[in-house]
Amino acid sequence: MADDGDRIPSPEETLRLIEEQRAATVSRLRGDPVLLYVPWGTAWLVGFSLLFLHYGLDGRPYAPISLWQALAVHLIAQVVAGAFAAYGITKQTSGVRGDISTKGTMYGYSWFAGMAVMTVIGIRLAPMLPEAEGGLLWAGIALLVVAILYMAGGAIFLNWRMFFLGVAVAAVDAVGVVLGPGWHALLAAVLLGGGQIVLGLWWRRHP
Amino acid sequence: MSAPPELDPVIHAQARLRVVAALNTMGAGNEMAFPALKDLLGMTAGNLSVHLSKLEEAGYVEITKTHKGRTPVTYVALTQRGRAAFDDYTKAIRALLDNAGGTS
Repeated sequence: MADDGDRIPSPEETLRLIEEQRAATVSRLRGDPVLLYVPWGTAWLVGFSLLFLHYGLDGRPYAPISLWQALAVHLIAQVVAGAFAAYGITKQTSGVRGDISTKGTMYGYSWFAGMAVMTVIGIRLAPMLPEAEGGLLWAGIALLVVAILYMAGGAIFLNWRMFFLGVAVAAVDAVGVVLGPGWHALLAAVLLGGGQIVLGLWWRRHP
Repeated sequence: MSAPPELDPVIHAQARLRVVAALNTMGAGNEMAFPALKDLLGMTAGNLSVHLSKLEEAGYVEITKTHKGRTPVTYVALTQRGRAAFDDYTKAIRALLDNAGGTS
């Protein structure tokens, strides 16, 4: 009966029930990993692949794609991904009031601030550099902002997965910048773009 | 031998246990809107209302009715007392398990 709420059979069953409910609540509060990571992964896979084809590994392009075409597609894909992520974050914090939603709001504005300052730095400094280094500056700061915000997100929401994803982005960014624009784009496309798609789908199945 | 601990009858009902476990997971200082809680638990609105009334009577949850723009919204939060009751309940269940493990 609804009023009685069903008697609980055994202590084991009860602990399992509590744990299941806790896990379901945590995953509801964390948001849908498919909405948060898969669009972002797709944007990077497409955008960085085009950049890679433009740069090539030995300085010779693999496909007739100009830097501006590659950057334009990359930017549009990221804006679309950002819209999906914003929708995911809104869905995640809707229906919750208190510390969690306050943290979510501040975190959302941190993304906005990070991306805005990245754009200012890129527009000011990239034109002063040779074309390949200018592109690398853009990509390098973009990944730096994302890496730090993922790590900060992990710390704020006590989410180790998100934290280590941030660590991975930071590591790929550092190695890629050292190796040069072609390698940076290749590593970012495969490891971070492909990686986030796989992780987003995997984390939905294994919350 | 310690006597088996008493289980809080308000929480010792599957549906209410799930309500309290979900609200406890959010941590103090957070409330969940009624529709969000209903979806999370997969309960009907009527069913959830009945259980929330029982929990409110016991002083375990606090129900705040407010407005978001023109739409009325109801928020549910676990009280300090509710949090303590859930804590005691899980301790009691663990003690039961330990006792059962010790005698068999």
